[in-house]
Amino acid sequence: MVRLRLEDIEFKQDDFRLYIPFLEAKQGEFLTLLGPSGCGKTTTLRIIAGFEKPDKGRVYFDDTVVNDVPPYERNIGIVFQDYALFPHMTVYDNISFGLKLRKLPKEEIRRRVSWALELVGLKGFEDRYPEQLSGGQQQRVALARALVIEPQLLLLDEPLSNLDAKIRERLRGEVKRIQKELGITTIYVTHDQEEAMAISDRIAVMSVGRIEQVGNPLHLYYNPKNEFVAKFLGLSNILEVNAEGGKACIGSLCFEVKTEGRVKIFFRPESVYVEEGDTGEIVDYELLPGRIRLKIDVEGNLIIAERFLDEIPFSIKKMPKKVGIRVKSFSILGSSP
Amino acid sequence: MKMKWRNFIVFPPLIFLFLFFYFPLISILKEGLWDNGITLKYILQVISNSYHRRVIFFTLWQALASTLLTLLLGLPGAYIFAKYDFPGKGILKALLTVPFVMPSIMVALGFILLFGRSGVIAQLIGRDPGILYSWKAILLAHAFYNFPVVVRMVSSLWQRINPHYEEAALSLGARGFTLFRKVTLPMLMPAIFASSMLTFVFCFLSFSIPLILGGYQYATIEVDIFTAIMTLLDFKTGAALAIIQISLSFVFMYLYLKSLDLYAKAEEQRVFRKPVSLTLRELLSIKGALIAVYSSVVFLFILSPLIAVVYHSFTYGGRFTLEWYRRVFSPEYNPIFGANSITAIRNSLFFGFSTVIFSVLLALSIAYIMYRWEFGGKNIFDALVMLPLASSAITLGLGYIRAFHKPPLNLLGTWYLIVFAHTIIAYPFVLRAISTVLKKIKPSLKEAAMSLGANELKAFLKVELPLAFGGIVVGAIFAFAMSIAELGATYMIYKPEYTTITIAIYRFLGSRQFGPASAMSVILMLVSTIAFILIERTGEEIW
Repeated sequence: MVRLRLEDIEFKQDDFRLYIPFLEAKQGEFLTLLGPSGCGKTTTLRIIAGFEKPDKGRVYFDDTVVNDVPPYERNIGIVFQDYALFPHMTVYDNISFGLKLRKLPKEEIRRRVSWALELVGLKGFEDRYPEQLSGGQQQRVALARALVIEPQLLLLDEPLSNLDAKIRERLRGEVKRIQKELGITTIYVTHDQEEAMAISDRIAVMSVGRIEQVGNPLHLYYNPKNEFVAKFLGLSNILEVNAEGGKACIGSLCFEVKTEGRVKIFFRPESVYVEEGDTGEIVDYELLPGRIRLKIDVEGNLIIAERFLDEIPFSIKKMPKKVGIRVKSFSILGSSP
Repeated sequence: MKMKWRNFIVFPPLIFLFLFFYFPLISILKEGLWDNGITLKYILQVISNSYHRRVIFFTLWQALASTLLTLLLGLPGAYIFAKYDFPGKGILKALLTVPFVMPSIMVALGFILLFGRSGVIAQLIGRDPGILYSWKAILLAHAFYNFPVVVRMVSSLWQRINPHYEEAALSLGARGFTLFRKVTLPMLMPAIFASSMLTFVFCFLSFSIPLILGGYQYATIEVDIFTAIMTLLDFKTGAALAIIQISLSFVFMYLYLKSLDLYAKAEEQRVFRKPVSLTLRELLSIKGALIAVYSSVVFLFILSPLIAVVYHSFTYGGRFTLEWYRRVFSPEYNPIFGANSITAIRNSLFFGFSTVIFSVLLALSIAYIMYRWEFGGKNIFDALVMLPLASSAITLGLGYIRAFHKPPLNLLGTWYLIVFAHTIIAYPFVLRAISTVLKKIKPSLKEAAMSLGANELKAFLKVELPLAFGGIVVGAIFAFAMSIAELGATYMIYKPEYTTITIAIYRFLGSRQFGPASAMSVILMLVSTIAFILIERTGEEIW
C-alpha cells in the first residue's frame, strides 16, 4: 500500500484557487476530505487521480512524483458519486473491465471477479445490467470494480450521497470494514460531517480552496482551530469575551484562559453541565430522543446545552426559570478566515 | 500526459473544412466583392435590380409563410402526441419520419402528379386547382417537410412541463384557454421558437422545391443563383446573390442555434408525463373524432404524394404497365447524356456510402473535440465547424466551380469532389445526431475507464463509442439520405458519367417524361425506405 503526499499544490480555474501546502495519507490510512460544496475537495481528489493537472506542486505516491503519470498508469481505484458504471456492460463485464485491460488470464479474471463480488456481498448478480440494480447495489458494484484491480490507492468521491439515509449508514460501515480488511490507503470525499466522523482515521476539513485543519475525528471535534472548523463539525458554543487577570467571565460563568484581552471561547453543548442555580435563564428547549437541548441566556449570550434526560436536576414538567451551568472543558479558537 | 495523437486529431477536420468549405467560400467572396480592389458594385447591381429584389423579398416571405403553415399543421399534432395514447399512434409516429428520408425531387414530382393540370385533384374537381407553379405548392411542400419537426420538438417539451405548474395555476383560478395562454404556452415557447427557426432556415435555403414547383415567377435566391450561373453564366451576379444569401442565413442560423440552446435547457427537465390512454368512450367522443380527423390529414398529406408517384409509375392510360420501367432502362428514351440509369443508381449508392464514411468520421472527431476537450481557442473551433450549416447547396456548388476549376486544385469533374460536397452538406446533421448522444454520456464513464487502466483512446473505443453507436447509426443514415437526395450542388459540379438518380429524375422531368421520372423515383423511394426502416429500428430519438 502506498503513502500519498501532496506538496505545495496550487490549482486555478476561473476565479477559484485551490492551495494545499502539505497533505499526507499514511500507508493504509483512511483520510477524509470534508468540506462544504465548492471547497475544492473533489478537485483535490481529481488531482490525486490525475484527471486534473495542478498548476504548481507535486503529488507523491511513496517517494515517486506522479504528476506526469496519466490516470491509467497510476493504479488507482476510484468510485464516483454517480458510480459511472458502464451501462452497456453487465456487472461481470464492468468488474472485469480493468482486469481484461491488464491482459490477465481468463481463469484469473474469473477468480478475482468472484472474490470482489463476494467482498461486496453481490454474488449471483454477474449477469445483471446496472439499470437492473438498486442504488445501493450499483454502489457496491462500483466499489468492487475499483477494488478488483488491487489498486495501491482507493479514491471515493461522495460515494454514498445519492443513497437514502438507512442504506447510507449500513454501507458506510461496510466500506470501512472492507478498507480495514484490505488495509488499502483511502481518500474519501464527503460534505457530511457525521459520515466523516464515523468512518475516518483522520479528517482534513476544507473551506474555500484550502485545508483548515487535519486531525483525528475526536480531536477536531473538541479542539477545532477556528470558528469554521468548529461550526462545520457540529453545534458549537462560541463566546467572545474580554479576559482580565487570566480569567474570562460572563456573569458568574468564568473560564481560566490564562491570557489577556479578547478571546474566543469554544465548547460543545455536551460539555455544558446543568445544575440548580441562577447562572442563566432558560429561553427555550427541544426534546431529542433520550436527550434535551436547552437554550440558556447568560448575560445576553445564548449557550446551548445538551444532556441526557436523567442528568438534569429537574423534571421537564417543572422546568425552573433559572439554572446553574458548568462548562467542563473548553478550548480557545484562533481567528477564522 | 502523453497526448500526441490527441493534438493531431484536431487538424484533419479543420484542414478538410478549410479546403472544401472555407476556400470555396473565399472564392465566392472574391468573385462578388473584388474587381481590382474591394467593390460593392455587384451587390448594389443586384439590389437595384427589381427582379432580384423581388426574389429576395419572395424568399423571405415564402419562408415566413411556410413556417406559419407548418406551425398550423404541427401544433395540434404536438398536443395530441404529448397528451394522449390512442390506437395507431405508433404508425402515425413512424409516418412522421418519412419526410426526413424522402428526397425533395420525388416529393416535388408527387405534387406535380397530384396538383397538375391533368393530375388527380384536377380530375376529382374537374378543373385545375391552381396550386402548381405558384407559391401555394411551395408552401405546401415546405410544410410537408417540416411539420413533423414541430410535432416532435413541441410534444417532447410539452411532456416535460411539470404538472405542478398547471395545477398551481388551476388552484389560483386559471382555467381553460387562460391557463394555456398564461402558463402552458410560455413554457412551450422554446420548442415552438426552435422548431420555427429550423423550418424557416430550411425554407430559406430550399432549392429543389421552388425550382420545380415555383417556376421562374416564384424563384427564391437559391434558384436565382442557380439560373444566373447555369443558364446565364453570370458568375458576378451569382456570387453577389450568394453573398447576400450567406449574410442573411448567418443571422438566421445564429438565431436558430441560440433558440436550440434555450430548447435544450428547457428539455433538461426531468419530469416526463406519460400520455394518457384514451378510453373507448373518449375515442367515440368529439376528442376521438378530432384525433381521427388529424390523423387522416397527416396520413393523406404524407402518403398521397408518394402514392401518386408509385401509382403513376405503374399506369399508362389508366391501365397497369411496366412500360415506364422498361423505358428507364432502355437507351432510346434516355435523356441522360453520357450515362444510363444503371450507372445512375450505382453512382447514387457509391456517393451515398462514401458520404457516410467521410461525414461520420468528420462529425465524430468534431463532436468529440467539442464535448470532451478544453483548449485555448475552442470558441473559434466551435464557430469554424458550425458555420457550414449556414451555407446552401447552390452556394457550395458555386464556390466549388470558382475554387476548383484551375490548378493547383483542379478537381472539378472528379467523383470525390461530389462526395466532399455531399459531406459538407450532410455533416452538420450527423454532428447533431452524434452530439445528442455524446452529451448524454457522462464524462465520469471515461474517467472510470481511465482509472481502471484504459488510455484515452481505449476508453473511447470501449466505453464511449459503443454508447454513442445509436446516434452514429442515425447520423450515418441521415448522411446517406441527404447524399442520395442532393440535386443542386451535384448538378453544378458533375460530369455526365457521374449522373445520380436525382439528376436522372430531374432530366426526365425536364423533358416532361413523368412516367420514367416516376419509375426512377420509385427506385429512389425503395432506397429511402431502407433508410427509414433502419432509423425506426435503432429507436434513437432523432431530433
